[in-house]
Amino acid sequence: MPWPNASSLAMVRTALVTLLSHYRRHPGQLAMLLVGLWVASALWSGVQAINASARDSYARAEALLSPNIERLERRDGEPLAYADFATLRREGLPVAPLIEGEIALRDGERLPVLGIDPLSMSAGRLGSVSGNLSKSAATASKTDDGDNSLNLLQPPGQTRLAPETLASLETSLDASPGARLRTASGARLPPLVVDAALPPGTLVLDIARAAELLERGTRIDGLLLSPGARATLPEGYRRTSSASGLSPGQLTESFHLNLTALGLLSLVVGLLIVHAALGLALEQRLGLLRTLRALGVPGPTLVALLAVELVLLGLAGTLPGLLAGLWLARVLLPDVAASLEALFSAPVGATLSLPWHFWAGSLAMTLGGLATAGLGMLWRTAKLDILALGHAQPSPAQSYRRHKRQAVLAAIVWLAALVLWVWPAPPGTPRLIMGFAMVALMLAGSALCLPVLLAAILEGLKRWLKPPSPRATLARWALADLQLQLPRLQLAMMALLLALATNLGVAGMVGGFRLTFLDWLDQRLVADLYLRPPPAAHEPWRDWLETRPEITTLLERREAETRLISQQGERPVSLQGLTPVPALTTRWPLLATRSDDIEAAWQALRDGEALINEQLSIATGLSPGDTLTLASPDGPFTTQVAAVYPDYGNPRGEVTLTVERLITRFAAPPGSLGLVLAPGLSASDKAALRQTLTSPLPTAGEAPAPTLIDQQTLHRQARQIFERTFAVTQALTALTLGVAALSLFTSLLAQARERRTRLAPLWALGLTRTTLLGVTLAQLGGLALATALLALPLGLTLNGVLIAEINVAAFGWRLPLHVFPASWAEALGLALLVALLAAALPAWRLWRAPPRQLLEEFNAA
Amino acid sequence: MLEMRDIHKAYATPQGDLSVLDGVDLTLAAGASLALMGESGSGKSTLLHLAAGLDTPDSGEIILNGQRLSTASEPERAALRRTQLGLVFQQFHLVPSLSVDDNLSLQARLAGRDAPDWHRQLLTRLGLAEMADRYPEQLSGGQQQRLAIGRALAGRPALLLADEPTGNLDETSAEAVLTLLLELVRDSGCALLMVTHSARVASRLERRLSLSHGRLLDEDTAPDTLAAPGKDAR
Repeated sequence: MPWPNASSLAMVRTALVTLLSHYRRHPGQLAMLLVGLWVASALWSGVQAINASARDSYARAEALLSPNIERLERRDGEPLAYADFATLRREGLPVAPLIEGEIALRDGERLPVLGIDPLSMSAGRLGSVSGNLSKSAATASKTDDGDNSLNLLQPPGQTRLAPETLASLETSLDASPGARLRTASGARLPPLVVDAALPPGTLVLDIARAAELLERGTRIDGLLLSPGARATLPEGYRRTSSASGLSPGQLTESFHLNLTALGLLSLVVGLLIVHAALGLALEQRLGLLRTLRALGVPGPTLVALLAVELVLLGLAGTLPGLLAGLWLARVLLPDVAASLEALFSAPVGATLSLPWHFWAGSLAMTLGGLATAGLGMLWRTAKLDILALGHAQPSPAQSYRRHKRQAVLAAIVWLAALVLWVWPAPPGTPRLIMGFAMVALMLAGSALCLPVLLAAILEGLKRWLKPPSPRATLARWALADLQLQLPRLQLAMMALLLALATNLGVAGMVGGFRLTFLDWLDQRLVADLYLRPPPAAHEPWRDWLETRPEITTLLERREAETRLISQQGERPVSLQGLTPVPALTTRWPLLATRSDDIEAAWQALRDGEALINEQLSIATGLSPGDTLTLASPDGPFTTQVAAVYPDYGNPRGEVTLTVERLITRFAAPPGSLGLVLAPGLSASDKAALRQTLTSPLPTAGEAPAPTLIDQQTLHRQARQIFERTFAVTQALTALTLGVAALSLFTSLLAQARERRTRLAPLWALGLTRTTLLGVTLAQLGGLALATALLALPLGLTLNGVLIAEINVAAFGWRLPLHVFPASWAEALGLALLVALLAAALPAWRLWRAPPRQLLEEFNAA
Repeated sequence: MLEMRDIHKAYATPQGDLSVLDGVDLTLAAGASLALMGESGSGKSTLLHLAAGLDTPDSGEIILNGQRLSTASEPERAALRRTQLGLVFQQFHLVPSLSVDDNLSLQARLAGRDAPDWHRQLLTRLGLAEMADRYPEQLSGGQQQRLAIGRALAGRPALLLADEPTGNLDETSAEAVLTLLLELVRDSGCALLMVTHSARVASRLERRLSLSHGRLLDEDTAPDTLAAPGKDAR
């Protein structure tokens, strides 16, 4: 039957207003919904904002200088100079010179500087420096590109920098576009020009200006080779890749995946609140929905109107959530940026930079989650039996059937988690994704199982308590009443379980890692002082230090880069050269050796074998006794693996040889010198030595003073990096617990009136309001404690999985499982606190309710 | 106005099908009133639900104001309920989150027939003018049922279906509500089909039918009582 439009619109408008009027009478439910959406959206979008900003920084870093671009070096190991650039260009090779260094500004801040030759490199936009050099060369003569190059070349030149870099300089040096900053030595930089395509924290200048500022003379740091260049190189040169061959994006993928997983958990916990609120709103509106149907509103119209209501609520909760997420990201990003810089040398701006898809993605994720949470409501409305009035509360038989179904489902989900654990990952599936899928299944299975277990505990306790003592009678009533409340509290309890288990798991993992890391740091930091002389002054400094009576042992360390050659192909690895003297070998920790003989492993190193870090061992399957082959300037270098050592905080594979081997086979440049001081050295002697070590050495010509850092400073810096790395993780887990508390609070608030209806008859039967208050708090506290007790084994399992699977997949190292009973007690206390805080307001209202109100509730009961 | 022909309705039970209506025929003319009586479980409410299009018969034909209700689709039946029918339930079924004023105009607005004059008149005659901003929970039982009656009549339906409208009220309130209901029905000119247990309530209507074992057993014609309220409405 066709309806007139006006009539149809009137019906839709009236029905929508009527549906929404429910929230006017139940503002607690509306608040619960909006808060759920708000926190879910805030935590998720906060994490995504951090990830999006970091990825934007990586993209710009890669756009500036791709990690995969090939570089050239001299076969004789001598540093490159402009003469090499000229030689190669004369040979017809498309190469571009590069200078990399660091300058100190007037306020002491140090910034990386990249000096490029825009004409030979791209003759065009700086943002495409790493792009195809052939293509850049082809466009070099074009006027529009040429203009850009000319700006960089022509006096006074330009200092190009990212907007974030300018923002940080604005704060510290009052810099602005066009300003000419002064370096610590008094030199002036070319005028500042903002370039949004550049990564944060780097200044880009013309190569001539950079060479002048860095006092490089004719030396250059790199020659970049176009990917399209011919295969054969002139005699005396060879190809090399950049340091790791991995982009910052690839290196930090695990870090961001961890953050995403935590964000997803927060989203799920927030959506549990939404689901609970929607369920409650539907249950209380079943009568209204049936009335509306009886008064002539068609079922599909009602479903559509509820969908409209969902969208309206979604927008009202999600948009403020997005803003809160941005605030959260702004607060957390500096720590994340510092961690990423320290751990992976990945440049991340400390200010947010968000692409358009961040907004669309965050909105879609939260609204999608809301739609998922609301599907049940729409389905129940579509299937509403118009003649079945007032059957909102499930009967015991219905509850039993639902629990049975839930238990079966939980068992299936847990089984799937076990299968993922036991079964090898399908080829091409990242291990970390599989690990997270397993954790997600484990948490979902446990959450599904929780109401079943709680119901069983309540039933068991009810049977165990024998009346007729008044106390037991009241306790039995409280248990029976809790059984009735359980369907409405179960989602909040699930949220609490997930939050507590995650807190326990993460706290166990971080705590265990902290213990292991600090222990490892103590073992690795053998020397009291670490000195890094300028390369030209390395030999004179070493010779001088060897004569000093204050120094008992000199631990030289060098570094280089090479490739590990295996049947599966080549992979970049770091090389480390050590001095295996007893002062170092007696403390340096080893994880695995041939036949468990640590001294034999060190002797093997002295004899030319290699040690490898745990990351490389896990990634390649290499273990003590295996043979490894490394690319070296003189051809492949083959040796055996003597031992595997822990190397926390290093994202890359590393091979350790003796310093002598590194010099002779890999032409490793001079590195640092560790100084073990004589025992009993007086403070004044130490101070005098430090004074000497921070001044130029007279026998080293004009070389500047070396860099000196002491063990305590290194220790403190490492601890800071560690704490910063996990600050975000801990903040997010704590926030998830806060969300769970909020979930419980809003659930209780939403059903506060119904609770009074149930408690009023007891009051009428002679119980004081104080007793009722006590019963209410005991009910909630008991339920939360039971949930926390069930969260303990789940948290421990999660801790184990994080250590055995996620950590290994994400970072490449294993940790021993540490158990912290204090954190269990803390979790139980927290659960109790959360429940009591959540119950406080409804209980207070009950306690303050005047007798007349209770009488009305009694009459309504 | 309402014509029900050879209506059959049965419900499935664990013991087999339970026949509730077994060939019921019923006719109600425009403006007429009819009381449907019978014991609990006799099928009175089922018959009322069928007449309201809330349920469909297993067989038989229902024609409401010339439109075949028994074969109408769900949206068509919803539209008929909205525009042609007024429903009064024993449990009131008011919307707790809407004020008295909004509850009263709910169905009229749903049907796009909100008439402010009639609305004000109803509010006054129902004795609710002073409490238009209150919520249903703040009203007495009698006031709530008066409001439910007003809601059903606010859209000027052609037929009012009432299911035990005074069953939840005390005697005094029931009498007052019934008198008001009959007055308003008469003034609005709609037909009335009322399900009731009470012979005294039934006696106030023009016709009375009794349902027993799924069949309409007897019918008589009562004197016109619409203008003369009885002493005991229950």
